[in-house]
Amino acid sequence: MKKIIFFVFTLFLLNGFFFLHGKTPESSDQCFVCHEQLGGVADLFKKDIHFQKGISCSGCHGGDSKTDDMDKAMSKSAGFLGIPKGDDISLRCANCHAKKEMMQKYGSQLPTNQLELLKASVHGKLSTNGKEKIIQCTTCHNAHGIVSVKNPVSPVYSLNIPNTCGKCHSNAKYMQTYNPSLSVDQVAKYRTSVHGMLNAKGDPKPAECASCHGSHGIRATADTKSQVYALNIPETCSKCHSDAQYMAGYKIPTDQYAKYAKSVHGKALLEKHDVGAPACNSCHGNHGATPPGVESISKVCGSCHALNADLFSSSPHKQAFDKEKLPECETCHSNHEILPATKAMLGVDKEAVCSKCHTETKSTKGYFVAQKMRSYIDSLDVSEALALKLIYEAEQKGMEISETKFKLRDAHQAKLEARTMVHSFNEEKFKEVVIGKGLAVTTASISEAREAVDNYFFRRYGLMVSVFIISLLSLSLYLYIKQIEKKQASKLP
Amino acid sequence: MKKIIKNFYDYLDERLHLEDLVHFMGKKYVPVHSHSLWYYFGGVSLFFFIVQVITGILLLFYYKAGPDLAFESIQYIMSKVQFGWLIRSVHGWAANLFILSAVIHMFSVYFEKAYRKPRELTWISGMLMLFLGMGFGFSGYLLPWNELSFFATKVGSDIAGAVPIIGEPMKILMRGGPDVTGATLSRLFGFHVALFPGIFTVVLGIHLLLIQRQGISEPMHFEQLDKKEKKTMPFFPNFLLRDLLLWLVMLNVLAILAVFFPAELGHKADAFGSAPEGIKPEWYFLFMFQSLKYLPAHILFIEGEVLGILLFGAAFALWLIVPFWDRKTARGEQNKLITYIGIFVIIFIIVLTILGWVA
Repeated sequence: MKKIIFFVFTLFLLNGFFFLHGKTPESSDQCFVCHEQLGGVADLFKKDIHFQKGISCSGCHGGDSKTDDMDKAMSKSAGFLGIPKGDDISLRCANCHAKKEMMQKYGSQLPTNQLELLKASVHGKLSTNGKEKIIQCTTCHNAHGIVSVKNPVSPVYSLNIPNTCGKCHSNAKYMQTYNPSLSVDQVAKYRTSVHGMLNAKGDPKPAECASCHGSHGIRATADTKSQVYALNIPETCSKCHSDAQYMAGYKIPTDQYAKYAKSVHGKALLEKHDVGAPACNSCHGNHGATPPGVESISKVCGSCHALNADLFSSSPHKQAFDKEKLPECETCHSNHEILPATKAMLGVDKEAVCSKCHTETKSTKGYFVAQKMRSYIDSLDVSEALALKLIYEAEQKGMEISETKFKLRDAHQAKLEARTMVHSFNEEKFKEVVIGKGLAVTTASISEAREAVDNYFFRRYGLMVSVFIISLLSLSLYLYIKQIEKKQASKLP
Repeated sequence: MKKIIKNFYDYLDERLHLEDLVHFMGKKYVPVHSHSLWYYFGGVSLFFFIVQVITGILLLFYYKAGPDLAFESIQYIMSKVQFGWLIRSVHGWAANLFILSAVIHMFSVYFEKAYRKPRELTWISGMLMLFLGMGFGFSGYLLPWNELSFFATKVGSDIAGAVPIIGEPMKILMRGGPDVTGATLSRLFGFHVALFPGIFTVVLGIHLLLIQRQGISEPMHFEQLDKKEKKTMPFFPNFLLRDLLLWLVMLNVLAILAVFFPAELGHKADAFGSAPEGIKPEWYFLFMFQSLKYLPAHILFIEGEVLGILLFGAAFALWLIVPFWDRKTARGEQNKLITYIGIFVIIFIIVLTILGWVA
């Protein structure tokens, strides 16, 4: 009887204990009860968001967490799975994280497509050992100490992401096994960037790895679906840089994307889908993104426009720009809104960039050179237009003029060359290209096209003459036949 | 001047006995009746053939056969060679007018039943020349090596390849391989400038010899008439001069067509390019091409296209040997069935050609 009373009393006390502490795994999870005494992972798990939501060890490891009999709890019949390995790790996480109802049960608003995205990502597709994919959920999130992404101790908190990614991506030996051609200096470069420096100072807003590359669905840069695929880069950068509210504290404009989209580079990339056209990272760098300084602008532009940069460097403008501390290319061409270089930029008109510095009274030599250079280009344009008109006229008249038409393309080529040569700001060199090459071609084309048009009329007149002669011959022959037949008729009896 | 001509004539006469020839020609008479106009189309065909030979030789001076040179050489002829454009345009137009006048000539002979004994061989030689003329057209079409000619040759040789048993070897022979390539160009060039002209000249010689030997065919109703009732004109000089007059008129027509509608250059053939829209053969193949398009994919156990080709083959064969199966005409009786068949064939060709043209 005493025993019964003691049992009921014990039950009562336990009930009161559970009532006071609520239903936590600590109280009901026999796995945790034992493992807590062992320390290690249980201590980590205490801080884990899953533990706090009441998820038992058995949620991932299986087994019967209600029994204190270790053999029973960790038996196969109780569904004990042990430590998940390889791809099983992510599948185990997805048991809950891919199920909406399960996530709602724990009051989570997290998306449920992480595993799907991971599988499609470069990390989820490739394998270094042939047994498992490169990354499992635990690679970035850890296993027993998982906390919210907003928690500063999380390895995927924005300030920690560069180091988390860098664990692998800065490890040359490891990366060799996966992609030997991929550089391993991204984190080092990132730390030199404006984004990286602010991140290091504790500002969580500037871009880190996941801001541009994505998190679960990271794809190779050559993949058209990648956020950092050449065509997608401007939009990726603009997510932050065009958001005036987000960028409010950084005192930089937010119209770069709008300007870039209007530029010759933006149109080539965004409209013509020319992946060779420069995107934001082409000038600013990618991991080490930073605005180019006055000194380095011509080097940045010169990495593509090499001839222009060379000609400019050896031109008299180089010294003048350095003296005035003017950004070289940007002074005439602007930065984000670089418009097609038309002849309107050259000369002394109001819209010509030369007239910003050269006037009739100030820097006059440049004024007159610019005026002459513009007149050469105007002459070539007029001459080319006339050649085209005459070629069209000859074609309309059915004349074979394809060779001349083909040759005239050299005039266009001369104009393209002139656009480069203008950076020498040397009248003679410019004249040699525009007049020596371009105008020579257009003049020859005009002459050939005129000849073709004249030939057309010559054919018509020639035809008139030949038709007249043949008709005259026909008429004479007809009259001769009549004469013969008349003679023959008169001889008949 | 007259004395010089007479001396020259005497010189030749002494050696060649030209007087006999003049005497022979002076005795030749051409029947004069309501359908005499059709007699001239044989001469007109000959005229266009002569023009073809002359302009063809001139084009040969500059034309270079080969996939890398053919188009460029034609471009050179059209733009740089003095009157090259005229020579090529005249060559192209004379080819078409030759087929047209030969077809008219053939139908006039058919409706006049002039193929009847003893002129069966004249008919056969004439038909052979018409087929050779079409062969000239087909082989010459590829020579400019432009897109249209390339793909039209591809389609045309594919159709020929559909003929059972002999089709495939014939296609390989024509193309110089399984596809239309530079080898096809070399081969068709050879056919166009050596093989066909050689055969044509022999057949033409036989044809003209037969005409001279047998005289010009009289219409059937002439056979009922007395010699005095038969209206005729001397072959020399009357008919020959009239023929010459028509040749001059045709020369004028050729000049006008060549100047106002010069031959086009097109775009250079690209075997890997897509075929231009609306590929059509030359107009004289159009009725056959269009007929094959109307046939269903399968007729009983045989492919529609194959059946069509076989039917055309049989029809051409029957047409070729008409002097041998038209026994009624051979007996000197009127055969209206032949006339009805001829009218049906003309209507069929005209309707299908128009449908092919507008399609």
